Amino acid sequence: MDSTLYLFGIGRLLKPKLFFFSFYILFCSMSGYTQWTLKGSITDKVGLPLIGASVFDTDHADIGTITDLDGNFSVELGNDTKSITVSYTGFNTVQISVTKSTREIIVVLEEASTILNEVMIIGYGSTSKKMISDNVAKLTSKDLSNIAVSNFQSALSGKAAGVRINQTNGKVDGGINIRIRGTSSISAGSEPLYVLDGMPLINVNESNNGAPMNPLLSLSPSEIESIDILKDASSAAIYGARAANGVVLITTKKGKAGKTNVSLNISSGVSSPTNLVRWLNASEYKELFTEAAINTLGKDDGIKEAESNFDFLSNGTDWKNNNIGTTWNDIAFRDGSQSDVDLSVSGGDDKTQYYFGGAINKTKGILLGNDLQKLSARLNIRHNLNTKFSAGMNIGISKTTIDRVDNDNSFTSPLQSIAQSPLAPAYNEDGSPNGNTLYPNFLLEDLHANYITNLRRVTGKVFAEYKFLKNIKFNSDLGYDLSTQTEDQYRGTKTPFMSTNGFAFNSNATSENYIWSNYFTFIKELGKGSSLNLVAGQEFNNSDRIFNSVTGIQFPSDDFQSISSAAEITAGKGENVRYNFLSYFSRASFNIKDKYIFKASIRRDGSSRFGINQRYGIFPSLSAAWILSEETFLKNNSSLSFLKIRGSYGQLGNSEIGNFASRTLYNGSSYNKVAGITLIQPGNNDLTWEKSNQLDIGVDFGLFKDRIFGEIDFYSKNTNGLLFSVPLPGSSGQSLINKNVGALNSKGVELVLNTRNITRDDLKWNTSFNLAKNNNKITDLPNNSADIIRPTNIDRVGYPVASLYLVEFAGADPNNGDALFYTNGKGSETTADFSQAKRVVAGNPQPVWISGLTNEFSYKGLSLSFTFVGEWGASIFNGAGRFQSASADYFDNQTADQLNRWQKPGDITLVPQARLYGANGTQNSTRYLEKVDFIRLRNIMLSYDIPSSILKRAGVGNARVYLSGVNLLTFTDYTGYDPESRLDESGFGFNNGFNFYSAPQAKTTSLGINVNF
Amino acid sequence: MKKLKLYSIAFFLLIFFSACTDLLDVEPTTSISNQVALSSEENVKKLLIGIYEIDGNSNSHGGYIQIFSDLLGSDDQVAWNGTFAEPREALTKTMNANNFLIDAIWKNLYRTINQCNIVLDNSAIIKNKAEREKAEGEARFLRAFSYFELIRFFGTNTKGIPLRLTSVKDFGSDLSIKRNSTDEVYVAIQDDINKAITLLPASNEFYADKYVATALSARVNLYLGKYAEARTAAHNVITNSKRTLASSFAEAFNNDENGDEDIFAMQVTSQSGFNQLISMYASQENGGRGGDISLTNAFYTIFDDPKDGRALFNYKNKKGQILTSKYTNQFGNVPVIRLAEMVLIRAECNRRLNTSIGNDPLIDINNIRQRSGASKLVSVTIENILAERRRELAFEGFAIYDIKRTGASVKGLPSTSPKLVMPIPRSELDANKLMEQNEGY
Repeated sequence: MDSTLYLFGIGRLLKPKLFFFSFYILFCSMSGYTQWTLKGSITDKVGLPLIGASVFDTDHADIGTITDLDGNFSVELGNDTKSITVSYTGFNTVQISVTKSTREIIVVLEEASTILNEVMIIGYGSTSKKMISDNVAKLTSKDLSNIAVSNFQSALSGKAAGVRINQTNGKVDGGINIRIRGTSSISAGSEPLYVLDGMPLINVNESNNGAPMNPLLSLSPSEIESIDILKDASSAAIYGARAANGVVLITTKKGKAGKTNVSLNISSGVSSPTNLVRWLNASEYKELFTEAAINTLGKDDGIKEAESNFDFLSNGTDWKNNNIGTTWNDIAFRDGSQSDVDLSVSGGDDKTQYYFGGAINKTKGILLGNDLQKLSARLNIRHNLNTKFSAGMNIGISKTTIDRVDNDNSFTSPLQSIAQSPLAPAYNEDGSPNGNTLYPNFLLEDLHANYITNLRRVTGKVFAEYKFLKNIKFNSDLGYDLSTQTEDQYRGTKTPFMSTNGFAFNSNATSENYIWSNYFTFIKELGKGSSLNLVAGQEFNNSDRIFNSVTGIQFPSDDFQSISSAAEITAGKGENVRYNFLSYFSRASFNIKDKYIFKASIRRDGSSRFGINQRYGIFPSLSAAWILSEETFLKNNSSLSFLKIRGSYGQLGNSEIGNFASRTLYNGSSYNKVAGITLIQPGNNDLTWEKSNQLDIGVDFGLFKDRIFGEIDFYSKNTNGLLFSVPLPGSSGQSLINKNVGALNSKGVELVLNTRNITRDDLKWNTSFNLAKNNNKITDLPNNSADIIRPTNIDRVGYPVASLYLVEFAGADPNNGDALFYTNGKGSETTADFSQAKRVVAGNPQPVWISGLTNEFSYKGLSLSFTFVGEWGASIFNGAGRFQSASADYFDNQTADQLNRWQKPGDITLVPQARLYGANGTQNSTRYLEKVDFIRLRNIMLSYDIPSSILKRAGVGNARVYLSGVNLLTFTDYTGYDPESRLDESGFGFNNGFNFYSAPQAKTTSLGINVNF
Repeated sequence: MKKLKLYSIAFFLLIFFSACTDLLDVEPTTSISNQVALSSEENVKKLLIGIYEIDGNSNSHGGYIQIFSDLLGSDDQVAWNGTFAEPREALTKTMNANNFLIDAIWKNLYRTINQCNIVLDNSAIIKNKAEREKAEGEARFLRAFSYFELIRFFGTNTKGIPLRLTSVKDFGSDLSIKRNSTDEVYVAIQDDINKAITLLPASNEFYADKYVATALSARVNLYLGKYAEARTAAHNVITNSKRTLASSFAEAFNNDENGDEDIFAMQVTSQSGFNQLISMYASQENGGRGGDISLTNAFYTIFDDPKDGRALFNYKNKKGQILTSKYTNQFGNVPVIRLAEMVLIRAECNRRLNTSIGNDPLIDINNIRQRSGASKLVSVTIENILAERRRELAFEGFAIYDIKRTGASVKGLPSTSPKLVMPIPRSELDANKLMEQNEGY
């Protein structure tokens, strides 16, 4: 069996001699050296056991032990022992005098520094901030709580360096895009791997309305204790083939031994769009379009053409006297709201600890017809049967119901109504939506159709841990993730484009994932602060997806909306897809004298997604750190309290290319109800993982007793063998083939600075700042680095992925108002003939700089915290520009800037002459490209802790009222709706910097109360 | 005790580290592989049916081929009201190489051709001779038809389009290919059609039969000015194909199943096929986008008799725009070759050659006119016949081809204007090193 051989391979790597030799040392020392026995336990201030703390004879470094997994120790001491030294990473070391009569002691250690002591979850284990040799960003429930957003990801925005979190647009169900250290793939997935309590989560978008939905919407932020983001290769390599985009480890809340804690949180808020674009009002509209028609058709015909269209658009109202002036912004948007209630109970004793809680969220979106309701509950329980064996179970259930609106590229999406003429009434006199508009009136869809998505999710895990020996334990975790999404769409007889007496679509997508991980952990304290930590294990992951859908038409009436009432069933689908992963992993950390830290890990993954010859990949990593501040020459430095340099290198994989991308595939098809077969995908047997090699060099430093604590990282990430849908010449009969070609490099710098500016007992001020730069560059492409061009984007060697590729617009010709273009980029000659102008790389769809700044003030019971986020360097192409800022090309309402049009010779302006049907500069050019640099107040919270003197009488432990805001302020020069919104139709992709009637984000203000009993 | 512990560690190691690797063999359930698709007779026959499905989608004979021909060949008889700029470019004769619909037309025609090639390369597996010949005949017909559309849209008098007559086996290799000459392309088309006529049976349900291929021969030869060959083929179809003119003009359209007059039609049902002509010509109530293409007053000027039913064969949408009634059944078939076209071809060729094979051209033309209630003509000229084609075949994809073959002009452009030749799509130029762009793009 190659797997067994492989294990030996790992063993050799991890120095098997040392491994077994250490056992012997341990047992010998226990059996042969006894004089008297001291037992005890070591805890922190709140009574939590400290695992792996050292207890040594102060004078004899070879006499001692470490605490077990309950924080207990038992050490055999010699007759001459006078005192013991107790030490633990991140805690102050203490010396305690003992005599032979001391039989049992309890030692409480004090934390040395909160920052350095922070527990970092690293996958199949944990470490501390001080001892980590990798780049991991940590966020805790404090960062997440009480922010009025409907998904947990949005709450992370701006909190971690180099991690860009962005919701596609302002729909409540909008897709979430997370980029850790920029984009590291072109065609394969760019989303990180999410791991919930050790279990990789299903993160498949199952939306069928064209716009992606956030599959992790159902996870309630209130259940989350912490989030650790593994950014560099060394930390993520333990997740091997799926970690190239980084790993987000989510840890849910757990009970703690002690008093039962009941926590209740209630909040309620209102929301509105962050920004509205100004459109022409009725009189401006008439003026511009009359002028445009005259410019094209001459005076008499022009006026006739314009007026006959105004007659139609106004639908019988008196447009001449401005009887109607519809502001479609006000019709598409509404005041949204959000309310949250969550309750949790946690507690336990030394045998059993529990946490359970439930949360309700109700969000009314800012777009008409967009609502969300969410219920979730979680139970986490752990029981220690005896000192060796403990087991537990975590289970989370949730149901999310979303009332969805159409994707951005649909006429009946609310925001497309901004294309309607201000002359058109939104409603008829009887209050029904006006059906005679330029484009179908989305209000008809809103009233007579619905699209309800129900997302049901169960994530559960049973786990057991057995300590064979003091230093060696075995963990077995069986996780299960079930995600079921149903969609029920009904379009009534009065909806736009209805010709079939009703239409219904039902779908049911069920994905389930089970994962079984088994691993050993071995911890050996080698004395004087040195230690060895080994992890080795195996994991099997099976994922199944079943999808069914049915489509029906011809309903008796709108009173029958279930698909059973459809007289004709027109389409049905049934699919069953599976993928498996089989993995082995191992990690060794070696810490010498708390100064030198070495870590190595390796993971071997096999996946069914790849060709039979290319199924396995090995993903190794190495990292090292040196804590200089522990060296004698720096130890007593008064200003420099901590200094660590670290470096890591590793290889990661990306397998997100779909389940059968390597195969030549033929699908069943149908012609006149006769079955056929069609070639749909050319195959490639050599297809395999994208491999990404990442180097990270960093410095962690603390100044003035860590009041200033910073991290600086430089990284370089090379992705090779990019999974690529390589365009084929259409004349071959196929348009794309999946290949491993091309390479990509991301280089970047990250800076994190945490300062405790004021630390008085009654007044505190902390600041946390992060700044990251990411330069993303394609270094190799298929077909001898030939450019890969999609309509407005290009992948070209030397430039960022999906760079915007457009003809440069040169404004209006001062002589005649023609739109002018540069023949070959800015500065070259201009031409009015678009076909003579060459496209050039004109923008980057991804930001180069991202930053976050958080400040927290507290004065007595009052606290204020706020986070700003900023992005610089990205551009957005407005795909709807050719309709809405198009020199009155057609009767779509125009943005107000079109009033600055060229009107007479000599006018210098960027807006060409208005020409109805004239296509004056409406081609794809930089006329519709804009920089989207911005700074945004992502969230702000003002809270007040009600004094305990008042609370005591009410029997409440503590209570806090708070006022919280999201996206309240935005500073930008961008003239569109929102610098963070992009087209949500899947075909175009978020990465392409494309905007098309995309809704702005919501800004929300909410008031809440949090009570603990 | 110590040993027991170590043994149990080893035991767990063995159990958990020796999982089987065949867990990674996962086969797709909704698709099949190359080997499976090409290894059985049944599957090769189904690949043939798959060609019709590809050809019938919106990018080919499901609509865009006809729509682009008519928009490109229209002066001002129609207006473009839709939001897509791409069809409007054809109407205003300002097409460019980034037009994604032109790209889609190009790709889909070649996709059809490649699947024809797959069937032809693997047809030997069909044991029964008659069935094998039928399959080969259908694949050759469909290949010829696609090449004919390609050469007319993208070719010039000399520069043709790339010819691929065998299927692509390795899509990983360099697939760059040069343009063949226009003559070479027509030789291949004629060869396929002639072989198809020999191979195909006289009737073949709604699939291509001998007379469908013969009708295509008439159309191709007419386009090439080979009037005698066109006349013979058209006459053959009229006499032997067992198709008859529908009793009324309206009955020739919007049929759920092929009508009397349909020689070849793309099959559309509520469950399969796609009628793009509905999308762009029909009102919302009839399943369209509301009337992207509407008729203008100029349309009526092509008629010589106000009582001509074909002039009145239209309706108004909610905006008051006039829409053709040829496409009002959302799930109706798309007529691709009608018998009326054969009658018009026979009449035109007889007139040009001063013959009266089958019928005197005047009688053929009056038969067509009479059906729609238009007055009989007393004599007939070439111009009369060409005008009759415009009345009878409007919105069926003939406009630009009639202009090009007769040397007429449109929007002031001569029939040879490069603006009337479609640009080679940008994607083809980007991926095919040997491809050459047409003049003016």
